[in-house]
Amino acid sequence: MDDSAFPGLTPELGTTVLSTALRKGGDMAELFVEERHSLSLRLEDGKIEDAVSGTDRGGSVRLIQGLSTVFGYVDAVDEVSLRALAGELSRSRTGKPVAVRSLAARPARSLQPSGHDPTTVDAAAKARLLRLADETARALSPEVRQVAAVYGESRQRVWIAGSHGSLATDDRTRVMMAVTVMAQRDGLVQTGRETLAHHGGFELFDRSAVTDLAAAAAKKALAMLDSRPAPAGRMPVVLANGFGGVLFHEACGHGLEADFILKKSSVWEGKKGQRVADDHVFAYDDGVALGMWGSAGCDDEGTPCERTTLIEAGVLTGYLTDRLRGGHLGLPLTGNGRRQDYRHLPYPRMTNTYFGTGGHTRDEIIADTPRALYAKTLSGGEVNPATGDFVFGVAEGYLIEKGRVTVPVRGATLIGNGLEVLRGLDAIADDLEVKAGTCGKNGQSVPVGSGQPTLRIRELTVGGTSL
Amino acid sequence: MSPSDKPSGHSALSPLSVARAAIARGGNLGVELEAYVQFGRTVTVKIFGREVESVTTAEPRGLGVRALRDRRVGYAFSADVSLAAIDRVLAEAVDNARATDPDPFVGLPGAPAGSYPRLEGLWRQGVSGTKLEEKVRVALEAEAAALAVRDIETVEESTYTDSDARVAIASTNGVEAEARQSFCFVYVLAHAGRDGDRQSGLGFSVSREPAGLDAEAAGREAAEKAGALLGAGPCPTGSYCVVFDRDVVAALLSSIVPALSADAVQKGRSVFAGRLGDGVASPLVTLVDDGLALDGLATNPFDGEGVPQQATPLVEGGVLRGYLHNTYTARKEGGEAASTGNAARHSYRALPAVGANNLVLRAGEGALDELFHRVEQGLYVESVAGIHSGVNPVSGEISLGVTGRLIEGGALGRPVREVTIASEFISLLGSVTDLAGDARWIPLYGSAYAPSLAVQGIAVSGT
Repeated sequence: MDDSAFPGLTPELGTTVLSTALRKGGDMAELFVEERHSLSLRLEDGKIEDAVSGTDRGGSVRLIQGLSTVFGYVDAVDEVSLRALAGELSRSRTGKPVAVRSLAARPARSLQPSGHDPTTVDAAAKARLLRLADETARALSPEVRQVAAVYGESRQRVWIAGSHGSLATDDRTRVMMAVTVMAQRDGLVQTGRETLAHHGGFELFDRSAVTDLAAAAAKKALAMLDSRPAPAGRMPVVLANGFGGVLFHEACGHGLEADFILKKSSVWEGKKGQRVADDHVFAYDDGVALGMWGSAGCDDEGTPCERTTLIEAGVLTGYLTDRLRGGHLGLPLTGNGRRQDYRHLPYPRMTNTYFGTGGHTRDEIIADTPRALYAKTLSGGEVNPATGDFVFGVAEGYLIEKGRVTVPVRGATLIGNGLEVLRGLDAIADDLEVKAGTCGKNGQSVPVGSGQPTLRIRELTVGGTSL
Repeated sequence: MSPSDKPSGHSALSPLSVARAAIARGGNLGVELEAYVQFGRTVTVKIFGREVESVTTAEPRGLGVRALRDRRVGYAFSADVSLAAIDRVLAEAVDNARATDPDPFVGLPGAPAGSYPRLEGLWRQGVSGTKLEEKVRVALEAEAAALAVRDIETVEESTYTDSDARVAIASTNGVEAEARQSFCFVYVLAHAGRDGDRQSGLGFSVSREPAGLDAEAAGREAAEKAGALLGAGPCPTGSYCVVFDRDVVAALLSSIVPALSADAVQKGRSVFAGRLGDGVASPLVTLVDDGLALDGLATNPFDGEGVPQQATPLVEGGVLRGYLHNTYTARKEGGEAASTGNAARHSYRALPAVGANNLVLRAGEGALDELFHRVEQGLYVESVAGIHSGVNPVSGEISLGVTGRLIEGGALGRPVREVTIASEFISLLGSVTDLAGDARWIPLYGSAYAPSLAVQGIAVSGT
C-alpha cells in the first residue's frame, strides 16, 4: 500500500457530509467512500503482454425523497470535496434541515479466508503462473493453437454512512485467473474457457490449481473439435453442475430483484408465496458463503450480507432487496444493494445464487435419460425480466443417447421462459458446485457466483444448425 | 430540480496540462512515456411513472500512463490527477513494465506528419448549456409518448444521458493532442401486454446536443416495437430468408468486426486471417470503418494513442480489403502496414487495444416495406438476445435468440417467439441478397451506420 492510503471514514466526517446533504430536507442521505487498488497481468501468444495497475478512490452521495434520488460522485475523499458534492445535491430540495442520527459504527465482519495478501506476492511470481498455464495447455496437444491467460487481483475497501444512523465498512480482496484456449483441426476452430476465482487471497493459486485450470480449458476446446452441429428443436436438457447455475441466475434470479418487482416489470411480481416448481426445488442467494466470489461482509449500502431462501420446496419465498426498493415494498433487507463502484447507484443485485441439492446422482440422471442435450458449460446468457424469456449459449455440449453421454455438439442455444423452465425441473442431483462470473445490469458489472447441482429440464427449445 | 450540472472546482486544469505535467515529471525516468487524460461531465436522468427516479451528475476524470522500457510495456492509472498521484502512477507504470515480456514490435507512435483532421461540430455547447429541467423534460416526453401507445402496460425505463468529454494525449515521442466532444441520447424500454402476453420494445434518439433529440419518436418507437410482437406464436423450424432489422445488423457487425482487427488475425483468432483480397461476403457488402464521419459517436481527430483517425475500407463489393490496426499491430505486420487510427481505448483505465470506430455498411435502396416485398417469404428479426454469449468471435459461430415477425406474401405477418437462429460469420456475410435504404446511426453496440438487410438460408429453430 502507498503511504497516502485513505485512513477511513470517521463518524464525524460522515455526519458532516450527510447533514450537508439533508440541509434542505430528504428522507435519507448516504455517503459511500471507496478505495480500490487493482492489478492485472495478461498473457497471450506465449508472452506476458500487459501489466496494468491502478487506484480508484472517491466518494458518492445520494439523497432520496420518496422514490426519487439525486446522486453524484467525486474522484476524491477529502472533506471539502465531499461536502461540496453534498451541498450541490441538497439544492434539489426546498424543505427544512433533517437531523442525521448518530452514526453507530458496526464492527467490520470479514467474509474472506485470512489468506495470503496478493499485494505481497511479486508480479514475477504471478507472471510465472500464467506461463505455467500456457505451457500446460500447449503440452496437451499440437492442436492447441493459442492460449490467453489473465490474472487479476483487487482490494476494495468501502465505508458507507447512512443518515438512518449506520456506518459500515468492508474490506474485500478478490483474486482470479481465467484461461482461454483455442484449438484447431483443419478448418474447425473451437475455444474452451475456465475461470478460478475467490473472495480471498493468493493461496488459491498453487501449481496444481493452475495446471488443472489450464488443462480443463484445453480439454474443452479439444473435445469440441470432435463436435458436430447441434440439433434443433424441443428436447429434454440435462444441465451440468457449476456453470449450469447461469440458468437460475438468468431465468429466475434477475426477475426476483426488487427494482423489477417495484416497477411491475418482472414476471415474478405477485408470485411470492405461490408454488413455482415441484417440491424438490430449493434456491438461494448466499452472500455469506466463505470465500465465494460474490460474497461480502456487507452490501454496498452497509446492510450485512446474508443467505436468503428464494425458493423453498417449490414455493417462492423471497425477493432480493436494496434499501430503497425493499423499504418501499415493505420487504426485509437481504443485503443485495450492490454497485460496481462509487461512480454508480446501488441496485438490487444477486451475490451467489444456486439451486439446492436433490436426491439423485449425476450418473443416475444421465442413465435415466433416453435422449437429451447435455449442456456441460454455458457461455452466459440474457433474460428479459418482464417476460421471463431467456437465452443461453452452450459452450460445451453433448448428446445423451440411451442413457449415455455420446458425441459433442457445437453451436447450441437454449431458449425458454423462466416460469416454464422451473416447472420443468424433473430431476436434481447432489453435486452442487458454484462458479465465479460477472453480472452486468444497468451498465454496472459486479462479481457473482452461480451454481447448481446437475439437473434435468423436461423439455426446452434448443437452437442449433442441424435442422 | 436544481441547476446542479454547472461545473465546479478545478476549472483551471485541462486534460492537456495534466498530460504534459506527467510527461515532464517522468522525464528523468529514462523510459518512453505516454499519458492519456480524460475529463468529462455527465448527467443522467431516469424517469419512471411520470416522476424523476434518479438524477446523476458527475465530473469523472482520470489519467493513464503507458511506460516502455527495453521493449516492455507497463501501464497504470488513477482517478486522482494531483501531482502526487501522477508521480505514483509514473512509478507504478515503470514497475509494471518489469513484469511483462519484451516484444520487438512494442513502441509509441510519433507525432503525425501533418496536422490532425479538422472536425467541426463534434462538440456543441448544448449539452453543458442546457438546464437540468430541460433534460428532465426530454425524458418525461419520451416516457409519455410510449405510454400514449395502445397496449403499453409499463415503461420500465426512460433515460436521458449526456456526456461532454475532453481527452488529451502527450508522449515523450512528440504527441500532443486534445479534443472535445459532446453527445446525448434518450433511451426508452417499454412493455406491452394483452391477454396475458407481454412483449418489450426499445427506442432511442441520439444527438450532439439536447435540441437535436426526438424524444417523442424514441418513446413511440419503443412502444410500437413492443406492441407489434403481442400475440407471438410458434415459428416452424426450417431454413429461412431472414431480414435483419438495421438495429440488429449493427449488433451483428459489432460482433463480427473484432475478427477484422489485426490483433485477432495475427494471433490466429480470426476466420478472416489470410483472406485479404478474397471474397468473404456477398458482392452487395461494402463495409468501411469511418473514424471521421461527423455523425458517428466514435469520430475524433485522433485515436487512443494519438494517431489520426481515418476511413478504412474493410470489405469492398464482398472482397476483404483490410484489417484494423493500431501502432503495435502495424509494426508487427511490417512492410507497408501503418496504423489505421484504430487504437481503441474505453477509458483511461485501459491500454489501447484494437477496435472499430464507426462501422458504415453501404445501404441499398427503398424502404423496409419494399425489402419485405422483394423477399416475399421469410422471417423479419427485430431484436436478438444473447449477443455476448451467442457469438464466438474466434470460431465465427453465431447462435442467438430472436424475436420478430414472419414475412408472408411480401408483407409482415404474425409475430413469433422462442426462436433461435444459427449461422457463421462468412456464410452470413456471403448470403446477403438484398439491402434496404433505411440506414441510420445506431449507438447501441459501439457506433454503426447500418441498413436492414436480407440473408438467405439461415437456420431457424422454433417449435
